[in-house]
Amino acid sequence: MAIRVSTTIADGAALVADIERRSGERVSACYQCGRCTSTCAAAFAFDYPPHRIMRLLQLGQVDKVLNSRTAQLCFDCMTCSSRCPMTIDVANVIEQVKMIADEHGIRVNKEKSIRLFRRAFLKNVRRHGRLHEARLLTWINLRSFKPFNDLAVVPLILRRKKVHIVPPKIRNRREIHRIFHEVNGNGGGNGNSDRHGGGK
Amino acid sequence: MSAYSYFPGCSLTSSAGEYDTSFRLVAGTLGIGLDEINDWNCCGASPAPHHWGGNLGVMLPARNLHIAGYGHEAMVAPCAGCYNRHKNAQHELAASAELREQTSRILREPLRYQIEILNLVELFDREISPEALAERAQGRLEGLNLATYYGCLLTRPAKIMNFDNARNPVSMKPLLRATGAQSDHFPFKSECCGSYMGLAKKEIVLRAGRRIIEVAKDLGFDAIITACPLCHQNLDLRQSQINKTYGISLEMPILYFSQVLGLALGLSADDLGIDAHMVSARKLLAKISGSAVDPASPAKSGDATEPTATLSGIGEAS
Repeated sequence: MAIRVSTTIADGAALVADIERRSGERVSACYQCGRCTSTCAAAFAFDYPPHRIMRLLQLGQVDKVLNSRTAQLCFDCMTCSSRCPMTIDVANVIEQVKMIADEHGIRVNKEKSIRLFRRAFLKNVRRHGRLHEARLLTWINLRSFKPFNDLAVVPLILRRKKVHIVPPKIRNRREIHRIFHEVNGNGGGNGNSDRHGGGK
Repeated sequence: MSAYSYFPGCSLTSSAGEYDTSFRLVAGTLGIGLDEINDWNCCGASPAPHHWGGNLGVMLPARNLHIAGYGHEAMVAPCAGCYNRHKNAQHELAASAELREQTSRILREPLRYQIEILNLVELFDREISPEALAERAQGRLEGLNLATYYGCLLTRPAKIMNFDNARNPVSMKPLLRATGAQSDHFPFKSECCGSYMGLAKKEIVLRAGRRIIEVAKDLGFDAIITACPLCHQNLDLRQSQINKTYGISLEMPILYFSQVLGLALGLSADDLGIDAHMVSARKLLAKISGSAVDPASPAKSGDATEPTATLSGIGEAS
């Protein structure tokens, strides 16, 4: 595989140090037993399984890690962390990689649907203070051009009254808006992680 | 005994409505008082902590902790995701004066965040002893073998959740066994169900779900017991998709912990919302001792005389 050198990432060693500082973990402690990978529910969909992410970080090949699908796909179930014989919080390391990738505006195109999901979810919460599941599903299906995704279960869900037709709203939505405004610093817009053009 | 502050969370008000119903019903039966948090908001679930340096994932739960703190010592969050988010937020608030100050500014009041946060298993463990439950259950669930499934969020990360054992959790077992049911070791009890990837990356969820359910089936379990609405969704709602995708037929009922306790206490399957699941639990209910219901004949209103296993509404008939 060709090595992609990203222009935004100057110094691999400095970034590894940053990942270690943010996560509070030492990547050098990993001795490649592979237990994290063997317990990972999503490893089959990753380009680099968890133990290889650790190895790449040890070697300072941060650009590969930051551009990996793994960083986008890991959903932080923390199974790897609970099984590591060196008690490395592997999920936390990958989490920090994901954050740094976001900060560098790195977009792994194949995993667009996950960003779409996260953004749609938060947009929903920002507006109403609670999640409206039906709207989330509809919005994601339309935006990802898969309008019939999960359609088969819709009548079953409706029959069991498992869905709100009208979005649930809280009364003090102002407070929610203030929270989004505070963490975001720009009036509840799309925020840092969406600043770099995530399909608007 | 003062009442608990109750945080239902978004799932329990919609797709996991039966979890809320059964929890309130069982809590009421056991005399546990629940005060729903006034005007609670979404905890931010998995997407919030991944954004904006993670503070959104602290401040959304912080508002709930603050409201819950009015006159309550402890709050209960039956959704494992909500429980996890609130405990995480509490942990981060405790560690950072700056974060506390920032949150106080938003709420325009000095932040209260130190309320004790319990999950549903923890709450029941505290409120009813296995002996007391066994006395009330009178072996009603004899003949069943129930797989306890904890998933990820109840126990991980272990340092923050500080609940049970992250690798080999056992906290559901004493109460389940007190119902008269058997509960053998289920080796996949802390495997991940695929989390929130159901919408964005379905193959991860279907694959993870298949492994969990297949193992339970091979080991002869009658049902998988969970205390997480997302696990339930991935194992129950998506079970038909798993069957279709892999050309198999699993038919494994997935029940909430509160529903099983309800059945043990003699509450009706109808009231506990067991018919709200996608996978029918009819066979399981018919197996319960004392049940006069014939599994071959579904839903009839006349069946309602038997409290442990009224079947009206179960299956597709209604």
